[in-house]
Amino acid sequence: MRVTTNSFSTSLIDQLNTLSARQNRLQTEAATGQRLIAPEDDPAAMRRVLDLQSEGRGVAQFQKNISFLTEKAGASYEVMRGLKKISDRVGEIATLADGTKSPAELKIYATEVTQLIRQAAQFVNGKHRGDYLLGGTNVDQLPFAASFDADGNATAVTYQGNTDVPDVEVAEGSFVTAQMPGANTTGSGARGLIADSRFGADLFGHLISLQNHLLAGDTASIASVDHAALGKDEENLIYQMGTNGALQSRLEAAGNLASSRALSVDGLVSKEADADLAETLVRLNQTQTAYSAALQSGANIMQRSLLDYIR
Amino acid sequence: MLGLFGTLSLGTRSLQTQRAGVEVAGQNLANVNNPAYARQRVTIQTSISVAGAMGPQGTGADAVAIQQIRNVLLDQQIGNELSVGGYLDAQQSALQYAQANLGEMVDRTGAAGTNATNTGLADDLNNLFAAFQSVSTSPTSLTERQLLLSRAQDLATKFHQTSTRLSDLHDSMDTSLGNDVTDANKLISDIASLNDRVINAENSDGGVANDLRDLRQSKLEELSKLVKVDATMAANGALNISVNGNALVTDRTVNDTLQTYDAGGGKMMVQLATTGTPLALSGGHMQGVIDVRDGALTTLTNKLNTIAGALISEVNAAHSGGFALTGATGAAFFNGADAKTISVNSALLGDPSLVQISGVAGNKGDNQIALALAQISDKKLPALNGQSISQQYSATVAELGQSLASVNGRLSDQNAVAKMLSAQRSSISGVSIDEEMTDLMRFQKAFEASAKLIATVDEMLETLVNLKR
Repeated sequence: MRVTTNSFSTSLIDQLNTLSARQNRLQTEAATGQRLIAPEDDPAAMRRVLDLQSEGRGVAQFQKNISFLTEKAGASYEVMRGLKKISDRVGEIATLADGTKSPAELKIYATEVTQLIRQAAQFVNGKHRGDYLLGGTNVDQLPFAASFDADGNATAVTYQGNTDVPDVEVAEGSFVTAQMPGANTTGSGARGLIADSRFGADLFGHLISLQNHLLAGDTASIASVDHAALGKDEENLIYQMGTNGALQSRLEAAGNLASSRALSVDGLVSKEADADLAETLVRLNQTQTAYSAALQSGANIMQRSLLDYIR
Repeated sequence: MLGLFGTLSLGTRSLQTQRAGVEVAGQNLANVNNPAYARQRVTIQTSISVAGAMGPQGTGADAVAIQQIRNVLLDQQIGNELSVGGYLDAQQSALQYAQANLGEMVDRTGAAGTNATNTGLADDLNNLFAAFQSVSTSPTSLTERQLLLSRAQDLATKFHQTSTRLSDLHDSMDTSLGNDVTDANKLISDIASLNDRVINAENSDGGVANDLRDLRQSKLEELSKLVKVDATMAANGALNISVNGNALVTDRTVNDTLQTYDAGGGKMMVQLATTGTPLALSGGHMQGVIDVRDGALTTLTNKLNTIAGALISEVNAAHSGGFALTGATGAAFFNGADAKTISVNSALLGDPSLVQISGVAGNKGDNQIALALAQISDKKLPALNGQSISQQYSATVAELGQSLASVNGRLSDQNAVAKMLSAQRSSISGVSIDEEMTDLMRFQKAFEASAKLIATVDEMLETLVNLKR
């Protein structure tokens, strides 16, 4: 093939352009650590990366949801713990208030029970991040409204919330609630913390009954009615605390799963998008060498012509 | 027998012949860096012999022609490849703009462990659905609601920006088409004018108007980049140009020119200016622009609109059935119908408590609607061919990437073919300084020898004249 004067320069320019483009590509890969930046680099990988990123973002949000639910479950547990202490104390009072106690002593117990009712009402009207914890989805209204007579004795504690509890998604299609209604007398749905007609629980009702029997010195009713009723409240509280513990355990497991999923997704994205740095740097080095060689050889060849040899 | 005077004439012709050789070598050297130039060779032919006692006797040599070294078949192939290259260049350029406009780039150099993109719609879509999830955990939180609205507004803005950029790209492609048509018409006119000059030069002086033909060939190649044309050489030296069977240049005349016209919906196409015949072009930059505009870019725009439309429809359907913190219901979350018109309901932006998250009137802590809104993320929608919104979007991005990668590959192949043809043409028609310097020496030596012949004959004539003294 006949090689003309400009064949060299044209060919050299083409080669240098090709090598420059390759160097630029490899340098970008080395600097970013990525082999995939734009869709044109690898369309199929780009689609997988976008899908994985969507999944990763979802998992990150599930982690936030789990964290929120754990916090809420913790707040509910604190309420239950307070109520359990009250329940334990009124159980003691119901046992202590037998026929051996004088009316004056029984009245002192009654005053303590009244104070415990006030304390329990304070616990169950607690808030988490601005919303009442035990009002169901009726979060902006005081869940329990307590009424007292002129002597300061509790006459009624009315539940003003509802029995609905909001679910939160912790994994695709997996919903969890960290809430329970303060009371449920509908016979179905989530179990109420203070009162539930299905299980005979009605803490406030039973506390008021105990208070009234103490005031009246009716130790027989305390022994025959209140003791057993308060036992059901205790069982209900223990059930709720156990459920809360199981919930926190489940949330922890879900959190761990979400963390490992997030790592796994990141690993998969890395496989699709990240460059093999060792290979990239070797190829960059090869290309730089080729570029230098092309420049040097081009300069040597192009400076020679017949003009160098004739006078 | 020539005699001394005949030999003197022979020497004179020889001088002229060698001088022509030197001139052609000089012309070649002068055009060594002219890419349109094809090297030339002087054709030397033995002069007519004369009858003599010893039979026909030579009378030297004449320079009878200056021949251009050019391979017509190769020129045609290069013209065809230029059309293919122009077509693919237009597509690559437009698709690269579209890719940049979409802004969907993977960037893993941010915070440790992040796998998020920074600039594209995918991130904003993910953020919106995450914000619905966040609101579902705290339905009454104004902060979460404000964040949700902010995410929704980011997404609407991104849809709008992307749609506007694609629309601008569409417009700029129509402008590019108009510019191509203007350039092509100028080239058509130039070729007709050069035909005129070639015919005149070759008819009056005889021979071949090599330099005019070179110039005309370069104009033809420029035209081929813009639009695939058929070129045929007429017996009189004219280059006749037609496109799609319609004559544009015949001899010295421009038969027709090109013009753009609105084929409906602001879609510019190309037709013949005189007859108004629409042209179905088969290559060149113009057809590349038309194909990518009406193909990949229109598909991309339509898909974005479909995705935005599906998002608006699904979100509004769920949202309008919910209840705001104020108890209000029935409001849309998004306004608009597609990527260009999507916006967040301004009433909600003004008062986040109006976002309808609760599914039960009066139950502010209910989050059924927020959950339903978050579930749209994974919902397979018939309007999106049974894919979710995110899946359809990633498929759209991948489809654009595939179109661009495919064009890149084809352009790379085409460049290899074009380089090979160009190298072949250079090996045939290119000027070699070494060759020309050798020719220069050859003709110089011959010129010196011819001069020596004349001097010798002169000395012989001198001898003859001095015989009688």
